[in-house]
Amino acid sequence: MSTILKIFVFPATLVIMCLGVLTILGGHITPGGGFQGGAIIAAGFIFCLVVYGLKESPFKLSHDFMAAVESVGALSYVFLGLAGLIFSGFFLYNLGVDLYSIVPAFIQSIFDYPDPTHAGIIPYLNFVVGLKVMVGLSAVVIAFLGFKELESDKEEVQK
Amino acid sequence: MIIYAGPLILGFLLGFVLGTRIKEDPESKLKFDASVYAVFIIAAVIVAYLLGPFPYYADAPLASGFVACAVGIILGKLIFGRSSPAVIEE
Repeated sequence: MSTILKIFVFPATLVIMCLGVLTILGGHITPGGGFQGGAIIAAGFIFCLVVYGLKESPFKLSHDFMAAVESVGALSYVFLGLAGLIFSGFFLYNLGVDLYSIVPAFIQSIFDYPDPTHAGIIPYLNFVVGLKVMVGLSAVVIAFLGFKELESDKEEVQK
Repeated sequence: MIIYAGPLILGFLLGFVLGTRIKEDPESKLKFDASVYAVFIIAAVIVAYLLGPFPYYADAPLASGFVACAVGIILGKLIFGRSSPAVIEE
């Protein structure tokens, strides 16, 4: 890749990632959400991987990190659902909003998202979905680049 | 002045996680020094101002989650993102 791209892409990637985070955070009141924001962040990672390559990319996503973040995202989603089931009897009940007034006030205050809309657990669900999608889409591209390098190494050995 | 903690905390957390992943390879010819992050934080504040706050948010004239994420990225990089050998696994 050209020198101009190598200078430009890293700071641009940081701004793209911030935009992805903003898309996740505004999922409950603006177009977007966890999946879209996670995909934008993953696009930032992929931008760096395409320009710098797998070895020289400034973003290092290890296997352990990806496994941990994906697990945290999925488990947090399930735990938020189970919290609704435990406190209200409904899986994924929005404890922070409590439309049916069946949850104690202190439980509602715990799950209330502190912003003017008071959207309850929806922003937290967006957050964990964003984590999972970000890592999932990045892992696909990292795997493809890894396979490509593996094939080129095999060809060199055969020669 | 009202401060909405939700986007600030979640934005900072996500940015911090992303910032910890920035690890430069000492053997690489590519060097991203402090000037890159200075340009980034200036660009982030300008972009956040141009984006504006979310609907119903009246705490600041800029996208507070965007700035919180930028601060999180830089702090994550400073605290955990020190240069180390490549840790990319297959």
